[in-house]
Amino acid sequence: MNRRLGLALFVVVALVQLAVAGGAIVKSEIALRTGEAFRFRIQPVDPVDAFRGRYVAIRFAVDRAPAPEDLDVKSGKRVFLPIEIDADGYAIFGQASAEKPMSGPYLRLRAGGIYPDEEGNRFVWVTMPFRRYYMDEDLAPDAGRAGWSGRRGQREASVGVRVRGGVGVIEDLYIDDVPIHQWLAENADNR
Amino acid sequence: MGRLSIRWLLSELPKLEAEGVIDASAADRLRTHYAEETSGSGRRLVVAIFAVFGALLIGGGVILLLAHNWEAFGRGTRAAIALAPLLASQAMVGWVLVRKGESTAWREGSATLLALTVATAVALVDQTYHTGGDLESFLWRWSLLLAPLPWLLNSTAVAMLFLAALTWWAGAAKVEGSQILMMWPLAAAVVPHLVHVMRSERRGLRAANLQWAIAIFLCVAAGLGLDNRVPGLWIVIYVGLFALMITLGAVNRRGEEGLWRRPLEMVGITGSIVMWLILSFDEPWRHIGWKHIYSTEKFLEVSSWLDEVLAVGLPLAAIVAMALLLDRGRHRLHLLWGLSVPLVAVVWPLTAATDSRWIGAVAFTLLLFVVGVATIVEGVRRQNLGTVNLGMLVVALLVVVRFFDSGFGFILKGLAFILVGIGFLVANVLLSRSLRAGEEEAK
Repeated sequence: MNRRLGLALFVVVALVQLAVAGGAIVKSEIALRTGEAFRFRIQPVDPVDAFRGRYVAIRFAVDRAPAPEDLDVKSGKRVFLPIEIDADGYAIFGQASAEKPMSGPYLRLRAGGIYPDEEGNRFVWVTMPFRRYYMDEDLAPDAGRAGWSGRRGQREASVGVRVRGGVGVIEDLYIDDVPIHQWLAENADNR
Repeated sequence: MGRLSIRWLLSELPKLEAEGVIDASAADRLRTHYAEETSGSGRRLVVAIFAVFGALLIGGGVILLLAHNWEAFGRGTRAAIALAPLLASQAMVGWVLVRKGESTAWREGSATLLALTVATAVALVDQTYHTGGDLESFLWRWSLLLAPLPWLLNSTAVAMLFLAALTWWAGAAKVEGSQILMMWPLAAAVVPHLVHVMRSERRGLRAANLQWAIAIFLCVAAGLGLDNRVPGLWIVIYVGLFALMITLGAVNRRGEEGLWRRPLEMVGITGSIVMWLILSFDEPWRHIGWKHIYSTEKFLEVSSWLDEVLAVGLPLAAIVAMALLLDRGRHRLHLLWGLSVPLVAVVWPLTAATDSRWIGAVAFTLLLFVVGVATIVEGVRRQNLGTVNLGMLVVALLVVVRFFDSGFGFILKGLAFILVGIGFLVANVLLSRSLRAGEEEAK
């Protein structure tokens, strides 16, 4: 291979590598800086990833949205879910649609299929993009336990998500409405 | 020229000199010429190996440091930390491409570092923004970003890393129940590099390492890639794959080389022994073939077609390769090991048609025994201790496996063991007699 051509190709590959890493930064920063803030209820546990360290694995309490009769999306395809607020102030999903909503905040997610529930209402199941909250390796196990070890059984856990243009990025993890780092500091003795 | 050939040539020089084929000054010139070449190449090799390991350890260390998760740094700092090592190693690779393209140590070392800093960058961005999903998704993105590097940077170390990442991804994705058909086209990214290395330094260490990586990748990938819609196809595919590896390895080999330089043969033979031992039980033969096609689960059409193509193609390719490429005299042993292919071609359809599990189990028990004994005999004939040991290993493993096999009654097993034992003793007597006769004749 010609050296100049090889170098040119390498520059292209290097730019792609930078763009993948940098693009993810830009996308997340836009959502975090300018996005609207929501809180989703979750159930945390604590595993480890060889490359990215310890994290709190997040299972969303809400991972489906009501689907109108005419909605027909294949598994793995994009679907748009408008975000609404429930009585307790947590985020829930409104009626799913295949098109981008005209107004209001929404998430663009992958559909997992459409199934009726026990009462026959149609729901579209989605793969939530926020599945991990990465934390300091010493704190993550405590954070994972915190969600389970409350006196009343389970504590209320939630994540704060900033949403902009269909993209959501996790901002913080909350236990009983207190940001996780603050909660861990306050409950250092009895956890 | 390979180091073994050079050693051979140098050892021949005194004889050539004594017989007057070359004069003393020519012999000395040859000695100095090749002495320089061997010592230089050895040093270069060590430097390259150290460069790769240095890069691997540093890159790995950076990944571990960042995995600790330094939450105290703000998002901006962490983004900078993610991109800085990547930029630095890209610059280094660029500099190596321009200035040091000829140096294997620089090329392999800097490429390895780049491969790991790509992982670092992607991982740290995922960590900072809590994005990126499962390990599977991370490994997929990393594999994609690595794919062009082996060819572009002419780096075998990165090719090995790439195949490892890709295999890991396929395993993780398979566990999650995702489709992994994309593994094959992506894996093809190492082919241009393979062609390059085989052309320029066929006998070199890089060629050997790359072949090891590819052989092991194929073994794992063949299993992971299967859709398993038709149960039992893996039997035919693996038997074909290992026979093909043994054949291609034998063809590719020149003279006596160390075991490390014969990756295809090594992986093919090891794989064959393991596979045949498994197949000598009747369990793998239960419910195989077209009568038991899974219809309850969802399968991807393309993927199940690929299964069938491989199941027909690999054994066929092995047979054709054996027929065309192997020499009946020189490669007797390899042809013997290839017997598994016609055997499975008969036994598999027979079992599928009749649902009799014992056919396959008995056939592969006999195959192990015949191939083991024949390998011992061939080893004795060629006076090659390694081959004798290989044959003994096969027979010994077969004996151990059958001894603990609960599929047969104790009386049957006992009698069979005694009969085979007597057979060995008789063979021993006959063999030593013929050896003695041969020695006397030689005298």
